[in-house]
Amino acid sequence: MPKAVSADYQCSVRKPHDFDTFWQDVLRQAAAIPLDIEVVPDRLRTSDDIEVFEVFYTSLDRVRVAAWYCRPARRAERSPAIMFLPGYQMDPPIPKEWARKGYNALSLAPRGKLRSMRHFNPGYPNLLTHNIVDRHTYSYRGFYVDTWRGIDVLLSRPEVDGARIGVAGSSQGGGLVVTTAAMRPEVRAAAAGVPYLCGFMDAIELTHTYPYEEINDYLRQHPEQRGEVEDTLGYFDGINFADKIACPIIVNIGLQDNVCPPETGYALFDRIGSADKQLYPYDGHGHDGGRARHGAIIDRFFAQHLLSASAR
Amino acid sequence: MDFREYWQETLAEMARYPARPELQTIPLRSTVFATLYGVRLTGVGPYRLFGYLSIPTGAGPFPAIYYAPKYQSVLEIIPQGTANLQRSRYITFSLAGRGQRNADTPYAAMFPGLLTDGIDDAAAYVFRSVVADSVRGLEFLLTRRELDPARVVVVGNDLALITGALTSGATHVMTAPALFYRTVELAPKTQAYPLEEVNDYLRTFPGRADAVRRTLAYFDLRAFAPKVAATTLLMAGAPGSLLDAQALKPLVDGLPGRTTVHESEQSTYRDGLYAERWIAAQCGIDDVRSILPEHWRD
Repeated sequence: MPKAVSADYQCSVRKPHDFDTFWQDVLRQAAAIPLDIEVVPDRLRTSDDIEVFEVFYTSLDRVRVAAWYCRPARRAERSPAIMFLPGYQMDPPIPKEWARKGYNALSLAPRGKLRSMRHFNPGYPNLLTHNIVDRHTYSYRGFYVDTWRGIDVLLSRPEVDGARIGVAGSSQGGGLVVTTAAMRPEVRAAAAGVPYLCGFMDAIELTHTYPYEEINDYLRQHPEQRGEVEDTLGYFDGINFADKIACPIIVNIGLQDNVCPPETGYALFDRIGSADKQLYPYDGHGHDGGRARHGAIIDRFFAQHLLSASAR
Repeated sequence: MDFREYWQETLAEMARYPARPELQTIPLRSTVFATLYGVRLTGVGPYRLFGYLSIPTGAGPFPAIYYAPKYQSVLEIIPQGTANLQRSRYITFSLAGRGQRNADTPYAAMFPGLLTDGIDDAAAYVFRSVVADSVRGLEFLLTRRELDPARVVVVGNDLALITGALTSGATHVMTAPALFYRTVELAPKTQAYPLEEVNDYLRTFPGRADAVRRTLAYFDLRAFAPKVAATTLLMAGAPGSLLDAQALKPLVDGLPGRTTVHESEQSTYRDGLYAERWIAAQCGIDDVRSILPEHWRD
């Protein structure tokens, strides 16, 4: 077996002094843009038990963002919802299985993803380093806002109980769960798997696999810009958002993760502000993060916090 | 038209169009140990495709890994999580089939959606062309002078096996069936995509069921199996899953070459390590540890 990873790993991430001011300014810009939500029934994907919709809304820089939305055909007047956030290069799935479990389920395709690439399309690889020397135009500035506005889409739905909203995702989705739970107090429960976008500058030393390797590629070509890159990433590092999380949260990591180093998962968990937090490290697992076993834990976690009588 | 004629005609149609490859160095993704090229080449249609070709630094010949088109929109240089140092020891070539990013003009595929695009007409079914694209990709790779023709591994989902069956030149195939093994029978047993696409389609268009069945018969892996001469690693699902080793036994029985079956251990680390070691062993690379991701090294 590979050598054990230290749970006490000291991450080099430092929060910029104007971190909060930066994001307040971004949110102010976003707030001026109407969501302009469009919900289109998808008859091909709809079945007797699950209704499927394509959703579109407007985000920062007036980029149009797509999502899949599923709801149980037979549901209570107001029921809980979970927003699903996608991995770096995966195509956002249609979350039918979560609707079957009784949730209204929204699966986002932030800018640059398939169906959301008309106005913004840096490509893959490239998204991670697109304008990485400038926090005001860095790709993830709008990408993060796209995900936060997904909560507004859920809140606009009459069938969604706004007091019972959860977020879930793995890899990039796990990182986005962290930033969303931090920035949207409406989130009542969060499940982050093998979180990416956490400890960027440590990760590129700890592993040499894509997608983090995109940053190494960039720095090899532009070594003189390392300072600017570090400066930008400080504003986007999930670890710097983590102290704002107040809701119950579970995090799972794989101790042989070849994509998102487990050291950064430990560092993230350490910084999470919520008193109700639980880490699940899976030895013998890579970027799957122990999914086969952990899936049932996620089910129980959301059932407890969103479905149970006490959650109402 | 029978199975053999269908594919003969497809490949003959593709042969009408020379590949006309065009290579452009990508300095951003090139390192001291490998140079990366973007490759444009023509497939059936005609249709211009795209791939990433990585050539190790130094004197060849090198073993090669061909990453056949995946079922996703994104084209990776090498699969996510693979150590970049893999490119120091192998030529790698990954191809975007039509519809995937970088090969999405004029046809942009949807995921989900690609699996059933034109599925009620075997002649027009998009995967007929995607299979041809995959074959064209391997044909291109085999022309590289740096390549050792005794060590050519085709890696991917069903397309890896199909490509190995339709093209001579693959010495090894590593395949993880997901799309075209008893599709019509197995799809109703799952609600998970991509097979759920077939369920969605047949629920919406029940009158087309016979046509869908006819089309998919041309793509069933069991029909390709006897043509696969390469040594094969078949990555099966975990025991009890839809495509576990037991379910895939008829396919394994039909493969004439040396075949190994690996049942998923539901760990990308364990399954990935097995695959990396298998490929390295087949290619005579005895220090595989040096090209593994850091967190997989003993």
